[in-house]
Amino acid sequence: MADMFDAIVIGSGVSGGWAAKELTEKGLKVLMLDRGVMVEHGEDYDFDGKPAYEIPARDRMPAALVKSDYFIATHGYVSPSNQKFYNNDRLNPYAYDEGEKFYWIRPAAVGGKSLIWGRWSFRWSPEDFEANKRENVGGDWPIRYDDLVPWYDYVEKYIGVSGSRENLPQLPDSAFQPPMQMNVAEKWVKERLETTSPGRKLINTRLSNMTEDKEDQGRSKCQFRNQCGRGCSFGAYFSTQAVTLPAARATGRLTLRSDAVVSNLEYDPKTKKITGVRVINTKTKQAEVIPARLVFLCASAMASTQIMMNSRIPGNGKSHFDSSGTLGRYVMDHIFRVNISGDIPGMTDYIEYGRRPGGVYIPRFRNVGGEEGIGFKRGYGYQGSARRDPLPPEGFGAAMKHGMRGYGPWKFGMGAFGECLPYEDNRVSLHADKVDRFGIPLMRFDVTFRENEIRMMDDARSEGEAMLRKAGLQNVTSERREHVPGDAIHEMGGARMGADPRQSVLNKWGQAHDAANLFVTDGAQMASISCVNPSLTFMALTARAADHAVKLLKAGTI
Amino acid sequence: MIIDRRDALAGMAAMFGASLFAPIARAAAGETPPIISSGPPSSPVFTAQQRALTTALSERVMPTTDTPGAIAAGVPEYIEKLLADWASPDDRKPIIAGLDAIEARSRTAFKIAADKATPAQQDALLTLAMEGKLPGGADFFDKFRQLVLTGYFTSEVGITQEREYLPVPGRYDGAYPYSEIKKVFSS
Repeated sequence: MADMFDAIVIGSGVSGGWAAKELTEKGLKVLMLDRGVMVEHGEDYDFDGKPAYEIPARDRMPAALVKSDYFIATHGYVSPSNQKFYNNDRLNPYAYDEGEKFYWIRPAAVGGKSLIWGRWSFRWSPEDFEANKRENVGGDWPIRYDDLVPWYDYVEKYIGVSGSRENLPQLPDSAFQPPMQMNVAEKWVKERLETTSPGRKLINTRLSNMTEDKEDQGRSKCQFRNQCGRGCSFGAYFSTQAVTLPAARATGRLTLRSDAVVSNLEYDPKTKKITGVRVINTKTKQAEVIPARLVFLCASAMASTQIMMNSRIPGNGKSHFDSSGTLGRYVMDHIFRVNISGDIPGMTDYIEYGRRPGGVYIPRFRNVGGEEGIGFKRGYGYQGSARRDPLPPEGFGAAMKHGMRGYGPWKFGMGAFGECLPYEDNRVSLHADKVDRFGIPLMRFDVTFRENEIRMMDDARSEGEAMLRKAGLQNVTSERREHVPGDAIHEMGGARMGADPRQSVLNKWGQAHDAANLFVTDGAQMASISCVNPSLTFMALTARAADHAVKLLKAGTI
Repeated sequence: MIIDRRDALAGMAAMFGASLFAPIARAAAGETPPIISSGPPSSPVFTAQQRALTTALSERVMPTTDTPGAIAAGVPEYIEKLLADWASPDDRKPIIAGLDAIEARSRTAFKIAADKATPAQQDALLTLAMEGKLPGGADFFDKFRQLVLTGYFTSEVGITQEREYLPVPGRYDGAYPYSEIKKVFSS
């Protein structure tokens, strides 16, 4: 047993899958653990390709089931066709009724959020890695954009990212497959918006849904079904199942265990190394410690932080990995609850054929290109699309029925994703006495948005409205709903990277300052969160960290 | 070491006593999430009369024309199933109240049970409800019509006959002429 594995990867989502692929391909024998159920590519996508009438409850979650078991997941995108990928909030709770309100929306299946993610994939910009230092906010990133460029290239070419080259400094281009096309109404908005709001752009989305086949990976391009969250048997979008798991399995060096929840890491203070991973079989409740030479902790930003916090110095209560005092702090989530919509005149001869996942994107324009003095730091982008809904019912009977055979006007809708600053006292902690069914202390969240985030949301609303009006859209309306942190499902931080071991949990490789053989390469490591979606960056950081870890291992350093 | 699940949970409950979190207490009661019921309603929502009226009114809202209507699409069964097992218990109230109000009006105005009334009489009753001229009528009409539409457009008839179903579109065209199809694509 002691020599069974060279490395243990905890979590099998976006980051864990990449860690398993890279480590096995570099010759390591790897055990990958996931607390969730097994989901095999294709065969376990129970509702892939099924119409509503073949899905329980016509694919709407029954109210009683939401209330009893999915009362947090309902704030995400749970439905009967993807229910088995989601966490059961009754069986696996956190201290959601204490602390500040936070929606911790989690998967509980092999593949993690890679099965159910939104798939919008952007590189971070040089500015994203420099702003903390220049503004003296949070902690300086110990890496810069250039450190990640080769790794972005590497993961993008492997997974397949569709998008258009734009040469924007605030949104560097990826190694793209061709973009999914805009519809006729989006092209209209693009032309008008870019004319009436000079300097602002409306571009094709950048999406980990392929527009070209990858025959060597047995993956087909997107078929425009827009049912990604149920699992895609075509393998058209990036998921662990479609992309990284087959690669890791092909090496013959991967062991994958589902239904295996990690409670904590065993640590030897003399060597300052992890010695083992304590795992509980979620079905039998049997616990065991699996010896570990190298650990990649990729359980998700919050769960990785929880596992680290629960790895405690005996009789002390403090984590082995918290000599800096920053573990659990600087937790962030994107602002998300600002939406703007309007009608697009004309083009009523046209409709959409096919159901396109994704849409269009308006990249960040605030605090770029020397703009300053607008009352808040950082910026936001908008994700949107134009579409036509079927005509609404009028009255009843044959006239109503036949009247619904047409489409209403083109409508454009968009929502802002904005950067939240890192605050030391936006933190998570372990509950003092409440534990889950495995004896693991519950997570408690004390994360709130502050003045910068509020001002940014106000600005995103007013600028969005003004921009669409100037572009000629009609009946422009907006809403700014309460954003509960966690809403964007882009929670990050908790074990930030930094150059100074007194100020951060991880070094520039995602390696724990307090344990040389522990790498944390998911969202926990982020020292700021940009305004763009993070998963692509987790992939690049994970591949880079795996490369470094194997070099250290071969050099005998860890 | 194998820990017996129930013993472990019982032990935890004893250990943490009052601080045992409500979801954990419920977890002790059952580790498997409930299965979504997809058979007949677990208990009847309607009386026989209400059921017959639901069937009749569904078809008046979404009648058989050049494509099948609500009855052929299984809409009445869907409505009762939804109200029995999928919706909130409160969602039944305006539907049942509206059905009863229509029933009462039919008996006073037409001296006949509403489900046995002529299609023209049923349309008149639905119109009264729609125009708010029956107690709770407008609320009933909105909600009932929504149930009919949802049931219909998530049925096989609605998805594949009334609308155009593309299981695997295979391509995206953002400027497709409506004149090519003259109907709506199922989502």
